[in-house]
Amino acid sequence: MAIHRVWIYHFKNAFLNIINNRLIHAVSIGTISVSLLFFGAFILLWVNLNGWVVQWGQSMTLSVYLKEGVERKATEKLESALKSLPGAEIRGFVSKEKAWSNLMEMLGSQARLLEGIAKNPLPASYEVLFRDVSKHHIDPKAIKDKIERMEGVDEVQYSEQWLERLEGVIYFVELAGLIIGALLCIAVLFIISNTLRLTIYSRRDEIEIQKLVGATDWFVKAPYMIEGSVQGVLGGGIAFCILLVMYSLLPVKTIHLFGLPLMDIIFLPKPYIIAFFSTGFLLGLLGSFIAITRSFRFESR
Amino acid sequence: MIQLFHVSKAFGTDYALKEISLRIRKGEFVFITGPSGAGKTTLLRLMFGAEQPTEGQILMNRINLNRISSSKLDLLRRRLGFVFQDFKLLKRKTVFQNVALALEVTGARLALTRRKTRQMLKAVGLTVKEQAFPLQLSGGEQQRVAIARAIINDPLILLADEPTGNLDPDITRDIMILFRSINLRGTTVVIATHNRELLRNTEQRIIMLEKGRIVHQ
Repeated sequence: MAIHRVWIYHFKNAFLNIINNRLIHAVSIGTISVSLLFFGAFILLWVNLNGWVVQWGQSMTLSVYLKEGVERKATEKLESALKSLPGAEIRGFVSKEKAWSNLMEMLGSQARLLEGIAKNPLPASYEVLFRDVSKHHIDPKAIKDKIERMEGVDEVQYSEQWLERLEGVIYFVELAGLIIGALLCIAVLFIISNTLRLTIYSRRDEIEIQKLVGATDWFVKAPYMIEGSVQGVLGGGIAFCILLVMYSLLPVKTIHLFGLPLMDIIFLPKPYIIAFFSTGFLLGLLGSFIAITRSFRFESR
Repeated sequence: MIQLFHVSKAFGTDYALKEISLRIRKGEFVFITGPSGAGKTTLLRLMFGAEQPTEGQILMNRINLNRISSSKLDLLRRRLGFVFQDFKLLKRKTVFQNVALALEVTGARLALTRRKTRQMLKAVGLTVKEQAFPLQLSGGEQQRVAIARAIINDPLILLADEPTGNLDPDITRDIMILFRSINLRGTTVVIATHNRELLRNTEQRIIMLEKGRIVHQ
């Protein structure tokens, strides 16, 4: 038999089996969808968290506090000087009033503590972001000294400790992602293989008779593996659609901290979408292979 | 064609067959008989490779079943036909699909599968029932579907386990005529039965089993 004819036969049988056993396949696809939805939600969380951590690792934020009563001309000069620094981008300007209201907001019910203060003691500041720290060979201490020497600048602050810990944080996030991702994959695989065992069990008479008339193991296994792959892709498709709808229903796509944008919540990038569907396909294929191999041990002789 | 050398089969500590040695030549028509529990079905299952002997050697068409790999056994089964006592038909497939299955697993072309399946159904007199499902058929008709499936690959050896059990005398006679015609085409036929009527006045070889041993051959 030509190879293409064998595969046409197997595909035809697999799709007929799916149609003939609609209910059990619907249950199976539903289970896979739910499992992959959790998996997809985790990937989405990981992509955003990891992206944020990597972005932080590649960038540095400085708070440039201005002296009291700095003239507008000096501010403009400072602003253009900051912009001219390599990799620098002014993320925002926090005026004295804004800094005060941010503090009030942060204190919440404790804001009454500030009632006795007659004059706003908080300075205005610029939030400056330096992108591609390693590419521009930016030395945080040298930059701090350089900016502090500029006219109108009172003090420059950056979180030295945070920067030192970033490498550890990135490593931790990646390791945690790998472990949780692997555990979720195993869980999905377990669910798929056990669900498929139900469909195989419901057709064990067919397998037994195929073996008795001389079908090879692969001849028997192939339609189930096609069915498993189709279920994996369909389950992945449903999970993806639900995830997309859930993302589009998110009320906020950017998380702010003290009025400044901290991180954008993005949807899965294209390579991750391809990887997500491939995972569904591979888990379906592998799950059905495990299920049929485990069922086969007592069917073959 | 079929050779057994000192074959024994035990299930746990109980021996279903003990020290069986026999030889069945190409083109022979043989009955294996004996009371219930004598070991007839076990003997056929050993010949089919569905069971492994506890002791001894079995050669089927010069292939040693003790040493055969799983994939080679699959290929050998395509050259053996087996008619099961309980027919083993797929309830959700039509008569045509049940018979065609034995050819499909060999990878035969679709056109050939259709042509041969129709020929076989004609040979067993079931052309008008080809779209029926097994549960819509009588016992005799189901048996004929099982026979059609067993002979569609032109087997070298046809093994049948109680093929006329629960069938009325007229249908039994028709089924036996069918087996005889298959044998006349050169296929070695081995039938396990406890039906004494079948054996009366037969000129065919009879192997008698009792308590797992051959008492006459």
